[in-house]
Amino acid sequence: MPKLSTNQWLAVVALLLGALAVVGEPYAGTRTSLDARELAMIVEGRADHVTAPELADWIMQGQTDYRLIDIREDTAYARYHIPGAENVQIRELPEYPLFRNERIVLYSGGGIHAAQAWFLLKAMGFPGVYTVLGGFDAWIDEVLYPAAPSATTPESMAEFERAEAVAAFFGGSPRGAGEEGELQELALPSVDLTSPVIVAPRKKRRKEGC
Amino acid sequence: MIAPFFKYGLFGDEASLILAFLVGIGFGFFLERAGFGSARKLTAQFYLTDLTVFKVMFTAIITALLGIFYLSWIGWVDLSLVYVPNTYLAPQILGGLLLGFGFIVGGYCPGTSVVGTATGRFDGFIFLLGLMAGIFAFGEAYPLLEGFVNSTDLGPITLPEALHVSYGLVVFAVVALAVVGFWGAGIVERRFAAR
Repeated sequence: MPKLSTNQWLAVVALLLGALAVVGEPYAGTRTSLDARELAMIVEGRADHVTAPELADWIMQGQTDYRLIDIREDTAYARYHIPGAENVQIRELPEYPLFRNERIVLYSGGGIHAAQAWFLLKAMGFPGVYTVLGGFDAWIDEVLYPAAPSATTPESMAEFERAEAVAAFFGGSPRGAGEEGELQELALPSVDLTSPVIVAPRKKRRKEGC
Repeated sequence: MIAPFFKYGLFGDEASLILAFLVGIGFGFFLERAGFGSARKLTAQFYLTDLTVFKVMFTAIITALLGIFYLSWIGWVDLSLVYVPNTYLAPQILGGLLLGFGFIVGGYCPGTSVVGTATGRFDGFIFLLGLMAGIFAFGEAYPLLEGFVNSTDLGPITLPEALHVSYGLVVFAVVALAVVGFWGAGIVERRFAAR
């Protein structure tokens, strides 16, 4: 046995580990398994969704640290979609270039399809998946055409004023207290609404690390 | 339990800030113990009389490299969830040159200036003020610089991808480079320190 100093021993160990690494496969750790209890806890803890007004805030603040996926039919997408959304059908999701370290926000018309897509992505091992609570309908009801509050307390009025500003930003307008039932007849803003809204390009990912 | 813990939602934002604080203290402690609070020791690097910085940094790199590689291999770390920052070739080369220039002139790099300040060194404190002023100036000038800062974007590319070799081969090459580097550093130090 040659007489080696501590440093030299460490160097030898590092070299051996480095040599062994040549046959190693680090992405072996990338496998998926579903933990039913964990999924149940996520759903119960309401950590699986963002609300439509929250999403509106993100867009207005120019946040780009998430991918917004619209899983409705392409005709519905072409008519109107939430600014910044990418149109992906559920059947295309497994092959769609999403990265597992991204925050992914899904929405569908009502929310059921998005919830199914959420489960699909969870099963594929994507940890940061969320749905828009209430889906596209909630976007219409709560962001584009917020209803005036029935009670006129200062708090609810202040909140409504804010909602009004948000609606105006996205090209919508609030509806009056008596107009609740007429949602179907409300015209959606035309598609060119998406152009004045400045959504920063997706290129800039969230900066992490040093 | 698989890492990265934060990405798997094992702890939230607040807990991650507390952990970052503890890790930061540990980082600073070991920098100080390695002698990195002294501008003399740091600049000795560039005059080849004391290559401690080179050795400590390279040791840290191969320790982390081997650790992450093996933890991923046995399945304790999900490497596909570890954030890889984008490579912006031209701005990063220029930034590296600027940092090196500032390192030689000022005697510190950003982290070590904080260590120097914490141990009561006045030069470290002044360097830290300059650092803050630089960050502020960069922020104010960002609209002018934005085009260049985001230019030559190669995406989140890694060495195995760029060189089309296996991950393990890169690990071995970097470790071998480090060991040869340590051996060479010893020779260089003996020669230049004698002068």
